[in-house]
This record gives sequence, structure tokens and C-alpha cells, in this order.
Amino acid sequence: MSTHRDAALVLAALAAAAAVPALGSDYWTGLAITVLMWVALAQSWSVFSGLSGYVSFGHVVFYGLGAYLVVASWDRLPPALSVPLAALAAAAFALAIGAPVLRVRGPYFVILSFGVAELVKFVVIAVEAAAGNASRLILRTPEIDAIFYAMLALAAAATALAWGARVTRLGQGLRAIREDEVAAETLGVPAARYKLAALALSAAIPGAVGGTMAMRATYFEPLQAFDPMVSFTMIATAVIGGSDDVRGPVLGALLLVLLSELLWAGAPQLYMVVLGVLVVVFVLYLPDGLCGRLPAARAPRA
Amino acid sequence: MTTRRRFIQGAAASGLAAALPARLARAQAQRPLRIGFSIAKTGIFAAAAPSQLNAYDLWRSEVNARGGLALPGARRTVEFVQYDDQSNPSQAARIYEKLITDDKVDLLLAPWGTPTHIAVAPVLERFRFPMIGNTAASAKLRELKPGNIWFVTAAFPDRVAAELTKMLQANGVKSVALVTNVLPFGKEIKGFLEPALKAAGIEVRVNEEYPPDIKDMTALLTKVKQAAPDAVLALSYPSDSPLYVRQAKELGIAAPFQFVMVGPGIDFFPKLLGAAANGIVTVGHWTPARNARAKAFYDAYVARFKERPDYLDSIESYVSCEVLEQAVAKAGTDRARLREAIAQGEFETINGKIRFKGVENVVTPTGFLQLQDGVLQQVWPSALATAQFRPKTGW
Amino acid sequence: MLETLAAGQLAFAALALGALYGLIALGLNLVYGTMRLLNVAHGEVVMLGGYATYWAFTLAGVPPLAAVALTAAGGAARGAAAAQWHLRRLLASPRAAARIEANSLLAFFGLSIVVQNLAALAFSSTPRGYEYLPAVIRIGDAAVTGARLAAVALAIALCAAVLLFLRRHTFGLAMRALIDHRAAAAVVGVDVDRVQRGSFVLGFATAAVAGTLLSMTEQVSPFMGFPVTIAAFVVVILGGLGRPEGTIAAALVLGVVETYGVALTSPTYRSILVYGVFVLLLLARPQGLLGRRAIVR
Repeated sequence: MSTHRDAALVLAALAAAAAVPALGSDYWTGLAITVLMWVALAQSWSVFSGLSGYVSFGHVVFYGLGAYLVVASWDRLPPALSVPLAALAAAAFALAIGAPVLRVRGPYFVILSFGVAELVKFVVIAVEAAAGNASRLILRTPEIDAIFYAMLALAAAATALAWGARVTRLGQGLRAIREDEVAAETLGVPAARYKLAALALSAAIPGAVGGTMAMRATYFEPLQAFDPMVSFTMIATAVIGGSDDVRGPVLGALLLVLLSELLWAGAPQLYMVVLGVLVVVFVLYLPDGLCGRLPAARAPRA
Repeated sequence: MTTRRRFIQGAAASGLAAALPARLARAQAQRPLRIGFSIAKTGIFAAAAPSQLNAYDLWRSEVNARGGLALPGARRTVEFVQYDDQSNPSQAARIYEKLITDDKVDLLLAPWGTPTHIAVAPVLERFRFPMIGNTAASAKLRELKPGNIWFVTAAFPDRVAAELTKMLQANGVKSVALVTNVLPFGKEIKGFLEPALKAAGIEVRVNEEYPPDIKDMTALLTKVKQAAPDAVLALSYPSDSPLYVRQAKELGIAAPFQFVMVGPGIDFFPKLLGAAANGIVTVGHWTPARNARAKAFYDAYVARFKERPDYLDSIESYVSCEVLEQAVAKAGTDRARLREAIAQGEFETINGKIRFKGVENVVTPTGFLQLQDGVLQQVWPSALATAQFRPKTGW
Repeated sequence: MLETLAAGQLAFAALALGALYGLIALGLNLVYGTMRLLNVAHGEVVMLGGYATYWAFTLAGVPPLAAVALTAAGGAARGAAAAQWHLRRLLASPRAAARIEANSLLAFFGLSIVVQNLAALAFSSTPRGYEYLPAVIRIGDAAVTGARLAAVALAIALCAAVLLFLRRHTFGLAMRALIDHRAAAAVVGVDVDRVQRGSFVLGFATAAVAGTLLSMTEQVSPFMGFPVTIAAFVVVILGGLGRPEGTIAAALVLGVVETYGVALTSPTYRSILVYGVFVLLLLARPQGLLGRRAIVR
């Protein structure tokens, strides 16, 4: 594996991405924000679910909590403070629920993670209703370029995290858990601690992403911030790209956003149909995702 | 893909041009006028979006049948550039950026829903691109910077609350039960309604909220029944409005004034509920009897889509098109002049005259409709009434 | 307050919710039990059943209670087709089989998105509804519309029939055997293939009928399936995967929580109660209310 060439490619990709706002087109900048958002979310998801095999269907909860925190503290905290706080809060929440939730496995875990996300959504709705807010509008949000650079940083951080998690002992341990948790434990993998750590790590960046996207939407409504489709698209992005490869979520995000750009004008519902078909095809026939089609040592020509 | 589609549309347009009388040939020689918008074809607003899109489509075919949209000195056929925003406001913001900077559309129409309008407003502001909003109603809209966005709706929550209170008083209502869906429109109206009712001396006997995914209202409505109020005000949404009616009927809630906020104006509501829907009062400030344009619109809509227009969304959507059409006729597509024409102008629509002050339509009065024998009648304000309010006498 | 709680109206509401949840979840659980497939597209079968009933009623005037037979047949056919497709895949490659078990949730979610959006393309996303048996009937101190009473009665009857079938009928007993001990069932001569097909057919048919019953009391729309699936999943997980009696018990618990919980607190807390009970019970008893097996895949 040629680490130097990989590093050079990563730097080149970063530089190319960082130059997008220089095109001066809000359309391209906006498109890039969307790609980067899905990269950041899918990478984060794969840190926990891709490696450990515990498929989380509720990762939107971290995204939504991050959005909620940034919006609720608007006008009191500057985004430079509230967005990192959103990441911390999401990670703290993951730690708090992790211990009990991670005892549950397989399909039970999938549905439980979904249930937790829905529970939090309705608690937020109730809290907002009790406070007399049904929705919140935030004014004087940062310019689109600032949001872009924030999202670029988050996508880069998530990718670095996903890479780091794979090459350290944590990643090896999680993979062992995915293959056979009981066997892994007998081999000395501290399963409970590893799972909890991975969940917290994979929660932090979605929290910050949620906070950042709230500034782009300028409007907060719990039903949207906690929309289960966000969880689904995260998973689809990772699975289509290949959730066991750090390049996977990047490829997945590029493919899905490209696809939606091609289809959404002529046939928006067809986009959803194609997305669904892709998920089915990849899950059944190409479980290693797009990356499974690439030679292992060569980096993608993205 | 897009290119091919445009090619096909272009081909269709030129075919049309060949068939048109010679006096229009000059106008047809120009490229079509492109109007962009985002639409919630998928996601949580998808059920509501057809009522808006149908109105847009109807307007476009009418305009093109007239030979195109009139500009000073020319007519140009109208072509839509539309994208699915997946009911996601930030996606909608991105779409409007794309429409303005990439597709370089000539004009814009509005997306569906309050959050989407609010997300799009900063984009309009940044590019100084005027747009007439339609399917949004929130007091928060007034916090938006005026100048590039206007709202044709008369259903601002404070105005709905004030008018509803007046209507209750006029019908001798002394006590109400208030049940509120916690989604934004309901919550906002409730916020204005509570003090208004108090000031009017109307007693609130039950005051409860419920979540948007409610499946059963028995417990809630049992409380309402026991309180025996003169009026029930259900600040509900299309997904739960039928639930209220069905279960209120089962429990035999006898209040002579029953208000169901959003839903009764939609085609499926009376079909689903039949006679039980009779006598229900709802938000709305339009009927086909409003004027000649309104009748023509209603007939064309029913002929084309085989169902009634939505008395809120379809109307507002169509009205926003009419306003745009008349402003463009005066000012063309130059954004500065168009902005001025919209802000200063007065417009003839299927919903009567319209004029804006700030972001708000200040002419159309806020009103209420009542389903009477399957027909929606304007029962408030009395100046516009097409029928008298009839107390609900049973189910 | 006490009056409200003791009233038959509330008891009926709890039973009504429980019966419909039960019928929908039962089919979902049968498919899981015999095939280890988590069919997230279950709600879409319900949705298609609802549309079939709606169109049969509005276009041909077929009364929904008669349409039950029609939609059941349609659902059964879809189930047979799905079983055929799936079993062929299983035979084709054991590796694919292992994978589909693990990933069936994701694959079926993809499928459900496909079906939802095709339905939206075909029928438009506008909600639709029809009026049926609107007269209010009194039973004790409860009053219900004819349509709701018929829907609930039919749902209860069908739940009971399915449970009886699983306990008495040879084929039902074979299904049970397969659910409980997969390997042993094959050894003692259960035709696994045929039983799996049967469970698909039964599971899909009950779901389609549930769609008919739902369309009698609420509006149908292309996206109505997802919340239905979620409710069914909550019930199935609560009651234990592969445990039909557990499903019925859990459905009734959920119906009671939803109606009496709301009566005791406030409707605002409805969803918090439902998901709260679900999350807490699952944490306390990860194998479900009546579940026995350890929860390894």
C-alpha cells in the first residue's frame, strides 16, 4: 500500500474541495455542502455501525439534537461555540444511552435505535410545545461560504476519524465483535467499552453537522430535524459506497448526490425509486459497495 | 437527461408556434420564459403538494393557451423548471440557488409550506430575486425582511384567532373546548386565541394539545364531551381532522359550533366523512362564488383534475401566479422593476383584489367556510358570505 | 376522570387499536419466524390493500367487506411471488442466504421506498377516502360507527383464526415447528420450503386485509405504510420475534398504553408513552414480552 500516494490524493481532494467557493457559484457551493454533509454523516455512521455490525437506524437523533442545541442557543452563543458544543452534547448523549442500548443485538438493536430516535423526537416536540414554541426561526446566519468551510472541516474530520478507527486496536476489536461478539470477548476484546467508545465517536460529528445545517435552513422544526429519512440516507450512502472502506462513504455520497442531480428535475419520485433499487441491489449483490469493485490498494479516482 | 427534456419541450413549443396565428409569431420566435420552483414531491409534505402543483400546471396551460405570458410589448410561452425538495427546507434553499444561478430562470414560484418559504427567503434576499409566497402562514413570516418575498395568504395566525373570536361572539358562543395539534400553525393560532377568547369573555373549558401522529382521540374527546362547551375548536391538520370528526360523531359531541382547522377544504374530506362533515367550520377565504374568475378557475380545475381544488393551498398557489402574471405584464422580468410592481401594485385575482404592505396581503379578509350539504360556503366575514352560518345539529 | 377510565368507549378504543396492530404485526412476525426476514415493506402491502379496496369501492362499487376476499387473494399472490423470488435466491447461494438474513431489514427498506414512490407516481400522493357504514351503533355505553365496528370485529376474528390455525391445523403446527426449531423441523419431515411459502402467503394476505380494514376508517395515501410498519415492528419486538401469542399480547398492551396512558396524562405524551414503553421494555427484557430465545441472529 503506497501511503504517500494516498496522502497526496487526500490532500489534492481536500484542496480541490476547498476551491469550490472560488467558482463563485452558490449552486456549486450548495451542492458541495450537500455532498460533504453526507460524507460526514456516512463516515460517522460507519465508524460505529460499519465496523461493529450493530446497524443503527437512529443516527438522526444526534443530528437532530445538534440542530436543536444550536438553534436553541442562537443569539446567546456564537456558532463557533455552539457547533462544537453540539458535537459534545451528541457524544455525551451517546454515552448516556449507550450502556443499556448496546446490550441489545441484531434486529432488536436496529429497531431499538430507531425507537430511541423517535422517542427523543417526540420529547423535543413536547418540550418545545410546553415552552410555547412550535418552530424556531434563526436570523443573521453565516454566509454560505462559511457554512461550506465548516462542513468541509467536518467531512475531513469524519474521514480522518473513520480512517483512524480502522487502523487502531479499536477498529480491530470492533471487527472481531462484528464477526462473533462472544468469541471476541473470550479473546480479550473489551466489547462493552469498545462499542460505547465507537458509538460516542460516531455521534459527535453528526451533532455538529446538524447544528451547521440548521444554520443553512434557518428554521427549526423537530419533525424535520429528526426525520428518519436522514438515518436511512446515511446508511444508504455508506452501504452503496462500501461501509468497511474509508473511501466508501465518499464514493456513496458522490454517487447519490450526482444521481439526485440527474433525476430530480425530470423525475423526482424516480430518484427515490432508483435510490431504493440501489440499496436493494447493493445489499443483496454487492455487499462490499462500490469499493468492493475497486482494487484494494488503489485509491479511487473520485 | 435534462438537456433531452428541454429539447423535447422546445420541440413541442415550436410545434405549437407553427399552429398559432401569424400575429403571435413574433412573440413565439423568442425562447420560452422559464419559471422555476421546488416542489415537495416526496417526504413528509408530499401529500399536500399536488394541490399546489395542480394550480401551477393549470395556470401554465391557460397562459400558454392565451399565446404566452404577456410582457410589455411581447408574449412568451411559459416553461417550468421544477425540482423535488424532498420536503427538506435546506434542500429547497439549494434548489432556489440553483434555479437562480445555474438554470438562470426568468421568474420564480413558491415552494410548499412555511418552513420551506422561510428557508428560501435568505436566498431571495441575497440575489434580490422577487417571489410571491403562497402556502405559508405564520406570524414569523413578518420577521422576514420585506422587499423580495410577499405572502398572498390571509391566514396569518393572529388574524385567524381574532376573526374566529369575533365569529364565536357573533354566534353567541360562551364556552369552548380547544384541542390543538402541536405542529406550528396550530400552536401559533392557539397562542393568539387564548388571550383573544379571554378578552371576549369566552370560557375555555378544555384546553389540550396532541401530537401529530395521534391515532385515537377517545380520551381527549370524552373530556370535551363532559365539558359540554358551546363550541369545539379543533386546531387540526389534514391527517388528524377526519379522526376528530369520526370520533366526535361516535361520542355524539353536540356542540353547535365545530371548527376543524385544516382539512375540510380538501376534496377527500367530505368523500371520507359524508354527512358527518356537514356543518363543520374551517379556515378559508375563498369560494367559487367569489367572482367570475373564481368560477372559471373552479370549473377548469375540476374538469382537468377530476376533483375539487384545495380551498386553501390551490387557491393561494393560483393567486400567486395571477399576481406574478399581472406584475410581469407591467414590469417585464427586470427584477428591480418587478419588485416595485409587486410591492406597489394592486391585483385582480380569483380571490378578489390584492395589495401588499410589507410582506403581507392586506386586502383579503380572513374568513371561515362551512360545509353545508357537501358544499363549502363562505360564512364569515359577513361581507363576503355566500350563506348564513348554520348551527351543527347532529351527525 | 374515573368515569372516563371505566367507560366502555375507552375500552373499545383500546381494543380497536390493539386488534388492528395485532393483525398487522402477526403477519410480519410469521414471515420473520419462519424465514428470518424482517419485512420492512410490510406496511406497503397494507397500503396496497387499502388502495385496492378504495378503487374497488369507488370504481366498481364493491363493498369493502366483500373486497376483503379480493385483497386477501391479492396479498396472497404477492406473498407467493415474494417467496418464490426469495427461495430461489436462497437455493442459488447459501452465502446470499446468510447475507439476506442479516441485511433483510435494509433491503426491504429499499424495497418499501420503491413501492411507496411507485404508488405515488401511479395514484398521486393526495390522500383518498370513501364513506362506508357511517351509522353509529351502541354497544353498552360505547358508540361506534358501523365501519369501525366491522373493521375491529373482523380484525379480532382474523387474529383468532390465525392463532387457532397455528395451534390446531397440521400446516400451522408445521409453521410453529419451523419457528421454534428450524433444524429439527426439517429432520422430522416438515417440508420447510412449502411451510415457508405458506407463511409468506399468510403474512402478506393478512397485511393486505388489514389495509382493507384501515381504509374503511381512515384515508389512504402512498406513504401511509411507513408508520404502520413502525407500529407493527414495535409490537413484534415487544412480543418477541417469532412468537405469535406474544404479538397479540403486545398489541393489546400497546392499545391500552395508547388510550389509557393518554387518558391518565395528556394526549401530548402519546408518542412519548408508546416509544418510552417500547424502549424501556426492550431494555428490561431484550427478548420481548413472551420471547424465550437468546437474541443472537
